[in-house]
Amino acid sequence: MTTSPRGLWYRLGPIWSLVSLLAIVYVVTLINSFLGESVQVQLQYALVNLIIVVALQIFIGTSGVLSFGHVAFVAVGAWTVGLLTIDPELKRNLLPDLFPFLFDLNAPWLVAVVIGGVVGGLLALVVSPVLMRLNGLQAGIATFALLGVVNQVLTYWSSVGPRSGQSMVGIPDVLNLQTTMLFAMAAIVAAWLFQRTRPSRLLRAAREDGIAAASSGINVVSQRIIVFAVSGIVAGVAGGLFALTNRVVQSSQLNIELTFVTLAMLVLGGMLSLSGAVIGTLVFSLVDVLLVRMQNGLEIGAYVVSVPQGARAIILGLILVGMLLFRPSGITGGREFVWPFRSDRPLPGMPPTNES
Amino acid sequence: MTGQLIQSLVDALSAGATLGLAALSIGLVFGVIRLANFAQAEIITASAYCLIFTWQLGWFIAVPLSMLVAVAMSLLMEFAVFSRMRSANPATLLIASFGLSFLLQRVYELMFSNNVRTAPVASGLAQTVEFAGVRIQLLSVATITIAGLLLLGLHLFLSRTSMGLQLKAAAADFRTARLVGIPAGRVIALSFALSGILAAAVAFVLTVQSGAVGPTFGVQITILALVGAVIGGIDKISGSLAGGFLVGFVTSLLATWLPQEMSNFKDAYVFVLVIGVLLFRPSGLLIKGRGVART
Repeated sequence: MTTSPRGLWYRLGPIWSLVSLLAIVYVVTLINSFLGESVQVQLQYALVNLIIVVALQIFIGTSGVLSFGHVAFVAVGAWTVGLLTIDPELKRNLLPDLFPFLFDLNAPWLVAVVIGGVVGGLLALVVSPVLMRLNGLQAGIATFALLGVVNQVLTYWSSVGPRSGQSMVGIPDVLNLQTTMLFAMAAIVAAWLFQRTRPSRLLRAAREDGIAAASSGINVVSQRIIVFAVSGIVAGVAGGLFALTNRVVQSSQLNIELTFVTLAMLVLGGMLSLSGAVIGTLVFSLVDVLLVRMQNGLEIGAYVVSVPQGARAIILGLILVGMLLFRPSGITGGREFVWPFRSDRPLPGMPPTNES
Repeated sequence: MTGQLIQSLVDALSAGATLGLAALSIGLVFGVIRLANFAQAEIITASAYCLIFTWQLGWFIAVPLSMLVAVAMSLLMEFAVFSRMRSANPATLLIASFGLSFLLQRVYELMFSNNVRTAPVASGLAQTVEFAGVRIQLLSVATITIAGLLLLGLHLFLSRTSMGLQLKAAAADFRTARLVGIPAGRVIALSFALSGILAAAVAFVLTVQSGAVGPTFGVQITILALVGAVIGGIDKISGSLAGGFLVGFVTSLLATWLPQEMSNFKDAYVFVLVIGVLLFRPSGLLIKGRGVART
């Protein structure tokens, strides 16, 4: 097969989008790892969030259907890893009401994370035949209801976790920043590869024009089910990593607030592209890191820049609302990076750079 | 036993009425501009803060002032944010209202701190009266009365006045309403103002109930109201009202009658019910046929 130079670039374009995203994640991690312990901790959370946002993008970006329910898969992933990695002796003392078979169930953390992904994917698969029939606002409410159910079950059902109001502690300290970064990169690669598969392409066609897609023979519901389950797996893995990063798992941390923050990251970057998920998460997290520093007074040369306590969340909220007002398709405008960089960089004045 | 039954029914009616009003306030706006306004929660919170801070000046100042605050905030949201997003789809609008809600909560945190503020708002209503062997909370009766009067007033307004009819027409079919010359901007502002008044009523009932207001005061009821509005049929004004009422009524009955270890999961049952309703009647209980969800 002969390809013209333009054709070659055209074929390399998608790979470039993957390589550039991985490079960005690598560089950001590298730079931040020199900035002291507290930044490293924040970055590790940011990378876990990145995986959740990638999971959200796999489903929302591909299908165009809103989901408020992905944090439910994150929660079961976190629960699974918690139950599998806490020392059995400790588990007997801390979580006395567990099903007996759970006491001796134990797995190395890497295996536990994989199982967390499987459990997340299974939950998504089980609920999807019901949820995937709905569109628009109804889908949003139904997925939200799923989050409500899962959260309440995890909060109160002491046979699979701590008693109500308590948290799961004693999760081993095994995950470092580099490993988390590798997981984030793996999630990006997986999402990128998945974009090239048949279900993802069919569903994107249905996203653009549901009636045309259905009349060309695409079964939209079954394609959505596949994509939902895949994004459930990624969200479950992210949940497992959250458990290992936070080392305390509590249902109240895996609820509306996390749903909102991760959705905000996705919207900020642009929900229709994988680049949007990555850029949105990193920009949001970097602004957050900066603002935390400014709350304690950030020195730039001879100046000390500071914002009052509590202003951080307000500025983050303003950025999101402003983005929705002035550039609703997000920083990337829903496009992937292509070679050469054309207009796909953030437009002047658009990205939130008003903090310095 | 009968006494307990009647008592729980009155409580459920009052919970349903409160949630019905909250859902109606969301449905009114949604009908016109397809915005499911989650930031309604912060309008309720603002109105409640106002009641707490001004109650000592007397109810005849505090109540009108709290309504004024709610209407002003509602209109401000429309002019500052939502009027600039007319072309966005309902999902984007919902996310924007989430963002606004989050933002305002943090503003309240900064202004009034994270701790709850308390005041004995209308503490006379917190009493229980015994009537023919049935113990009934005065507040429940008051709530049902307030909701009934508001609904009657709203009904008269929507069916008897020119502006009300215009609003009703716009809620039924906005595009056609504009074609026949109904002023879009005024009708939208009107729907926001009315939804502000309803929010103030909800805030009053909730504030009397708890006597304490924090930055996330309105969130819980708004979530349930949104859910109720959607399962009732958010496309229709009566649909959101009925859906909200149903969710409040069922939740309250479950809380009273389920045994302790099961009532922990009462919201979970309601949510499962919600998913079931959405599956069989995606456009809502009161909308005939399956319909095509307008997205």
